[in-house]
Amino acid sequence: MITMEFEEMKKIWDSQNNEPMYGINEKALHNRILSKKRQAFHITNISELLSIIMYSGGACFILVMNLFRGSSGIFMYILSAWMLCSALYLLLSRVRRINGDHRFHRSMHGDLAHAISMATYQVRISYLMRWNMIPIGLLTVLGVWDGRKSLWIAAGILVFFILTYYAAGWEHGIYKSKKRDLEILQDKLEKEEVEI
Amino acid sequence: MTESKQQHIFETWLDEHKALVFKVVRAYAFSAMDQDDLFQEITIQIWHSIPTFREESAVTTWLYRIALNTAIKWVKKVRKHPLSETLDNVQNVLQDSHLQIDERLSWLYEEISRLDEIDRSITLLLLDNFSYKEMAGILGISESNVGVKINRIKKYLISKSKKYDHHGI
Repeated sequence: MITMEFEEMKKIWDSQNNEPMYGINEKALHNRILSKKRQAFHITNISELLSIIMYSGGACFILVMNLFRGSSGIFMYILSAWMLCSALYLLLSRVRRINGDHRFHRSMHGDLAHAISMATYQVRISYLMRWNMIPIGLLTVLGVWDGRKSLWIAAGILVFFILTYYAAGWEHGIYKSKKRDLEILQDKLEKEEVEI
Repeated sequence: MTESKQQHIFETWLDEHKALVFKVVRAYAFSAMDQDDLFQEITIQIWHSIPTFREESAVTTWLYRIALNTAIKWVKKVRKHPLSETLDNVQNVLQDSHLQIDERLSWLYEEISRLDEIDRSITLLLLDNFSYKEMAGILGISESNVGVKINRIKKYLISKSKKYDHHGI
């Protein structure tokens, strides 16, 4: 009966250091990039539309309610204008983003650059919208206080905005990590090309 | 650390030590899809680890620590939630190079895969000539514990080699 000594196993083990045991399938890599791009596009599109609808809808609702009640409180009017500006900013960003889409080539590099550009856009928008919670929250609380509503309602609204602010931070983290994954994929792709 | 420096280090590490990552991938993941997923996971963790690398240990020690810890966590995660085949994963990014692989090496990997996660890590480190102290540092266990485990692993592999058909080798 033959046995293998451990030193012999080591020699066999070392043999794999010279030749890489795997290669990278470029076509599969491209498909993965396309899938990530589609995913990034879908997420960006939906979150943009939802934010625009939410801001413009909220702004109109607050404005109509104030006009209807004949309220003289200035904070709610400022809030309405602020939200309308936010919606407008998002709309302009969306138009700029869509117009810039054709800059990218239909190649593996182009698709990846497009996906990264979209992820960068998403990271920037989520960052801005997170900070946008602060003026909106403050104006809402001031408007409630100005309207002589209960202090508890104002406190409740404040807590709601604080929680939303933290949730937005968590969401921002997800977008950042998605962007990071894409950049790592790009690094790998560039390295593969250098080796080829 | 600037992003370009981090990227440069990442590319250098991946270029010089990809065999190390492949070894861990092959020892812990067995289907092509799993190997792909684990490879991706390890490379992401390596990227994130770069700013915290203090050059107190060798790069290989650092990379093994990251790759093995990631692999052990990955095994636990996949055991709870097995990966499902999606369109995205039908074709695998990581593919076997069509090199003639020594079948004794395949046998060795097969035997390593039968060990538990910690013993698998120790075997990989042992085969790559790490000292007991380094292994203890990487895995967070005592040197004496490493010694006991190594003796057991060596005995196990040698006994298994008796049953292995050497094909006249």
